[in-house]
Amino acid sequence: MELFDNLLMGLSTALELNNLMFCLIGVVIGTAIGVLPGIGPIPTVALLLPFTFGLSPASAMIMLAGIFYGAQYGGSTTAILVNVPGETSSVVTCIDGHEMAKQGKAGTALAIAAIASFFAGTIATIVIALLSVPLSMLALKFTAVEYFSLLVLGLIAAVVLAHGSVAKSLAMVLLGLLLGLVGIDVSSGVARMTFGIPALSDGLDFVPIAMGLFGLGEIIANLERPAERRVVSQSIRSLIPSGKDLRAAFPAMVRGTALGSVLGVLPGGGAALPPFSSYALEKKLARDPSRFGKGAIEGVAGPEAANNAGAQTSFIPLLTLGIPANALMALMIGALMMQGIQPGPQIMTEQPKLVWGVIASMWVGNLMLLVINLPLIGLWVSMLKIPYRLLFPAIVLFCCIGTYGIANSLFNVWLMMGCALIGYFFIKIGVEPAPLLLGLVLGPQLEENFRRAMLLADGDFTVFLSRPISAVILGVVAILLLALLSPEILKTRKEALAE
Amino acid sequence: MTRSRIDLQDLLFGLFLVAVAAGTLVATRNLVIGHAADMGPGYMPRVVALALMGFGLFFSGRGLCRMRVGIAPVQLRPLLAILASVGVFALTAERLGLAIASVVAVILASFATREGRLVETVAFAVVLSGAAVLLFVKLLGLPIPIWPR
Repeated sequence: MELFDNLLMGLSTALELNNLMFCLIGVVIGTAIGVLPGIGPIPTVALLLPFTFGLSPASAMIMLAGIFYGAQYGGSTTAILVNVPGETSSVVTCIDGHEMAKQGKAGTALAIAAIASFFAGTIATIVIALLSVPLSMLALKFTAVEYFSLLVLGLIAAVVLAHGSVAKSLAMVLLGLLLGLVGIDVSSGVARMTFGIPALSDGLDFVPIAMGLFGLGEIIANLERPAERRVVSQSIRSLIPSGKDLRAAFPAMVRGTALGSVLGVLPGGGAALPPFSSYALEKKLARDPSRFGKGAIEGVAGPEAANNAGAQTSFIPLLTLGIPANALMALMIGALMMQGIQPGPQIMTEQPKLVWGVIASMWVGNLMLLVINLPLIGLWVSMLKIPYRLLFPAIVLFCCIGTYGIANSLFNVWLMMGCALIGYFFIKIGVEPAPLLLGLVLGPQLEENFRRAMLLADGDFTVFLSRPISAVILGVVAILLLALLSPEILKTRKEALAE
Repeated sequence: MTRSRIDLQDLLFGLFLVAVAAGTLVATRNLVIGHAADMGPGYMPRVVALALMGFGLFFSGRGLCRMRVGIAPVQLRPLLAILASVGVFALTAERLGLAIASVVAVILASFATREGRLVETVAFAVVLSGAAVLLFVKLLGLPIPIWPR
């Protein structure tokens, strides 16, 4: 059984003492930022990137991945206890989870959320292991032509499935591509758009851009809203759910996991889409839909399972094809490139220890999270009492130091300042910045593969259609774009995202 | 939120894109374009800039001819405080060292809200600065001076 061999190899990497430690650090940081509203995983991962230089690639990826799925656990704690989503992905958990807490069942809700997350995390790990091998076998047949088409598919699908206006998202992808072109052109050695600034000749670092757009821009916009102070006054009695609760929650968990696993693989899916879909599904299947919104346990179990499964399976396109499914995965690609590993279809055969180590570490990390979240819940609740007025100056400071740390350059700090202003502008005009980050990270690869493909085909654009795999991929792109033009789908998409 | 006769969000985004595209076209005017089989360094920037220009004109046009809710007014206090905090950090970090730069950056940033109390803020800034020095310089080995040189 090749699968078991691979998983065993992965486990042996994940269980190395230092990797266990980095996994623990990752999930603890992840839970913390998940619990705290107003700090997302994107700026956190960006902040920690500079400090992963010294680590082995496997340790770095294990820690960064832990932050991402750890944040999904932590987010639900805040959602249930305070009725504020700690992360966007836990918005739905607020509805029934907080209602349960009001009825004195906070402990049950927290336990079900954690168990559902663990169950989904375990299954999703197996899904990743099963899907990775065939996908990467297919990917090995890819040349520059297919890879270019695949990159286009990744970008377009991420835009179509994410929320916000598609046309605006496309424009943001292009903007990101343009920013990715800054620097010395690899094939001719000519400086492009560097405006004579030496710091720009290596291209724009994406860490200051991510921190400015996602971290600081968000803080400025948050501060404009009137401050809300909520004191957590929930006593958590029993953390052990009754057999009846478990029986009611289990089918929802299974359905949520299945839905999340599928939606997570799709580009743009990531962590936001699955919980919403799962909540809608549970409500539709329930014998008595009116219970939803009044503390239905399925309304916690399903979305929590979906959100965790989705968070994990969104690693599949990254680990097998080198295509990021969302902005966070784009940062992961950046982390790999900083480690000198070229992400792409070959990663699985060239770095099996890394890929399987990360996959196995997800299961280990989920086990840690179960322990970290349930018995230690009091610790996280007390963290919620830190007021935002102390939190945000600390984030600003750490962003400054972290940005400086990537290349020990003050230019990056200035760049982050500019991006904070632009990020604030984007929030004001209602444009989602995530596609820009995707474009920025994939831009150089897109250009390189495009040029190589054109060189091979002697400038003949039809090469993308005459090669079968590439033609199929571009066909999917065309279907996606055409589907968007049909008014019916446009309507359902709007409804689905508005829910 | 006020109703406005134009869609200001669309219009501003459109104008922003047009400005970026125009800037790119000017900045890359001397780069060799080449042709599809042998692209020069100027090929991709120009293709992307032209596409952006198209999007920008589209959004500007659409913004001018449809009604939407306007934009919530900009509050200068948080915007300026955060930007100033980052800017001052950039100016002082290498000259005055991390310890002083951190204190100043944290104090400036906390001006973003009216909630802060001065004594608390200053005390917190000093503690954070100490933590930052310990964590980043001592533990993670960031090569940045701690005190003024």
